[in-house]
Amino acid sequence: MTQRALNAADRGAGPYLWRFSPINRALHAAMIVSFFGLVITGLPLKFAYAPWARVLVRLVGGLQVAGYLHRFCAIITFGYFGGHLVSLAYRTITSPNRKGLFWGPDSMVPQLKDLQDIVQQFKWFFGKAPRPRFERYSYMEKFDYWAVFWGVAIIGGSGLLLWFPEFFAKFLPGWAFNVATIIHSDEALLATAFIFTIHFFNVHLRPEKFPIDNVIFTGRATTEYMKEEHPLEYERADREGRLAARVAPPVSRSATLWSMWLGFTALAVGIVLIILVVWALLH
Amino acid sequence: MRGFARLPLLLGAALVAVAGSVRTAAAQQAPVVECARCHANRDFLVNKAASAQQDSALYVPAAVLQGTVHQTLRCTDCHRGFENGFPHRVGAVVVPCQTCHQQEGTDWTASIHAANAATKGDAPTCVGCHGAHTVYGVKDVRSPVYPLNVAAMCGRCHGDARILGTYFATPEKLQARIATTQFPKSVHGVALTRDGLTVSATCSNCHRAHRVLPADSAGSSVNIANIPATCGACHAGIVTTYDSSAHGPVYPAQHRTTTEGQRRPVCIDCHSAHAIVRADQPQWLLGVVKECGSCHARLYETYFDTYHGKVTRLGFDLAAKCSDCHTAHNMRPSTDPQSSVYALNLVKTCGRCHAGATWNFVKYYAHGDPRDRTKYPVLFWPWLFMTILLVSVMAFFLLHTALWLMRIALDRGRGSGHGGGGPAEPRSTP
Repeated sequence: MTQRALNAADRGAGPYLWRFSPINRALHAAMIVSFFGLVITGLPLKFAYAPWARVLVRLVGGLQVAGYLHRFCAIITFGYFGGHLVSLAYRTITSPNRKGLFWGPDSMVPQLKDLQDIVQQFKWFFGKAPRPRFERYSYMEKFDYWAVFWGVAIIGGSGLLLWFPEFFAKFLPGWAFNVATIIHSDEALLATAFIFTIHFFNVHLRPEKFPIDNVIFTGRATTEYMKEEHPLEYERADREGRLAARVAPPVSRSATLWSMWLGFTALAVGIVLIILVVWALLH
Repeated sequence: MRGFARLPLLLGAALVAVAGSVRTAAAQQAPVVECARCHANRDFLVNKAASAQQDSALYVPAAVLQGTVHQTLRCTDCHRGFENGFPHRVGAVVVPCQTCHQQEGTDWTASIHAANAATKGDAPTCVGCHGAHTVYGVKDVRSPVYPLNVAAMCGRCHGDARILGTYFATPEKLQARIATTQFPKSVHGVALTRDGLTVSATCSNCHRAHRVLPADSAGSSVNIANIPATCGACHAGIVTTYDSSAHGPVYPAQHRTTTEGQRRPVCIDCHSAHAIVRADQPQWLLGVVKECGSCHARLYETYFDTYHGKVTRLGFDLAAKCSDCHTAHNMRPSTDPQSSVYALNLVKTCGRCHAGATWNFVKYYAHGDPRDRTKYPVLFWPWLFMTILLVSVMAFFLLHTALWLMRIALDRGRGSGHGGGGPAEPRSTP
């Protein structure tokens, strides 16, 4: 019987192993902050008819302020998106294992195994198979990654159109802004609904992880966590003798506090926002 | 020849002038001394009438008339039948204002006030509004009919709960019930009370001073048919524009899009009757959208699907509202070449906010409806794609989550611990 830890990444026996690099943690933190900024300032416009919409707008200081904040967060979004592409390019050039970035068990690119994992997961739901054993990234994490990739491109692109309509009308017909509004708004609603329900459940709220998994904030998790959540990656690293190089010092007290604060705030605000969305949809 | 024909007329005019000056001279020579012997003596008047209040009404010292428009008249000019000295008869006093104020008398006789004054005694006669002895000119600030005092004077009855309950209780009389509370806050009321603009409309400008008639009466100045003319008495240029617009009475039928059974709106349909606010106030700019929408329901809905509409709905005056594109009074359908939203005029109309708007830019659908596949196919397909994407992704993963929770519940119920006991799940229940 293992001791239940508040942070799922602290579960069981150590030592801690590195999972996320500082740059990826920083990009994810920037993503959280900007995503919440975008959702809080964007939802009132999408659901302008909802009774809470005016309250939310006034809470951030009025519609004009909301507009500026939305664009500011958009700049952060373009920043982390660009930052990720630059870091990918850098790793492609410098990494000895550049092929592994784009194909294989360490890659974000979907593999045949991901499809098999999905099938097996559904079989497991019905008790017809054991639980799938994941590599470095489960199919859920890969979906999250590509959803953000697609989402930023789609929402960001349509958002730019709506930001500078006079400029884009030099080569696009006016109805492109109607289309951009539809795409921007519906894709943003999908992102909001997905992150605040599915993503939250998959990475924080399901029983193994409840109430929070801070691995994305502190970058490290216990050996037991790695054995349970990403067994194939753990075994591969063990086999290839790479485990020692991944041993990490335990999380400092201040980092624990910071990651708890950020994680729980995001969870709480996200859940409130998804309740507002459901309220507006039922309205 | 023509000069001689005019002679009797000129003579007549001269006679009237002489008679007038004689009468004035006589009044000055014979002051109200006789009447004053009693009516300027308070002690004498005690218990002469039915109540103490009526006693004091009999007290009319000469000074009361000083400075009024009637200061040169003798008491008996109005109080007919008292010429024969003392003791004179008592009882009802008929004061025939009409003798001199003929037109006003005729107008009042035709009014709702006259009808109710005769049958119920509730409505004002001349003295009810102008006062009995202290009658001042309409430009005299002491007069109850001075522009700044009219609203309060009318409000004495029209703000009275008993009067409102008796005559204005039915739903269609709502405007009358809210008039005295709304008017002081309206643009007209504020202009009078705060800015002292005596030219601003007060009750009598719209409802008339003497020929006051309810709105459902065809001859009323506030009858729907007469509203544009009534408002136009001051707002002249606007009425001309309105008259020729799609809402106006002379608009050519081939362009009209009026739905069966809908009445053309008049000034008060959009601006309200008593709660009129300045047209450049956010309160108005945001509220008028609803007024337009009360007839143009479909356009109202699709407007709120756009950025313009959403910003407006949130209560911010930052984006285009109906009148920004369609103009305030010269609204015309897009098929009319004179319309601000006619295809050839859109660059100019949109360009008022969007500097640098081009031919391309104005192809924006300000009322686009993505659900309307025939009219807006370019909006329909992206909308359908996004809707399917949203619904299918959420449906798949919500099912994924629901089944996962079901698995957890089943495992817990079976007491085998969470996780299903597969090889990847060697851990026991936390």
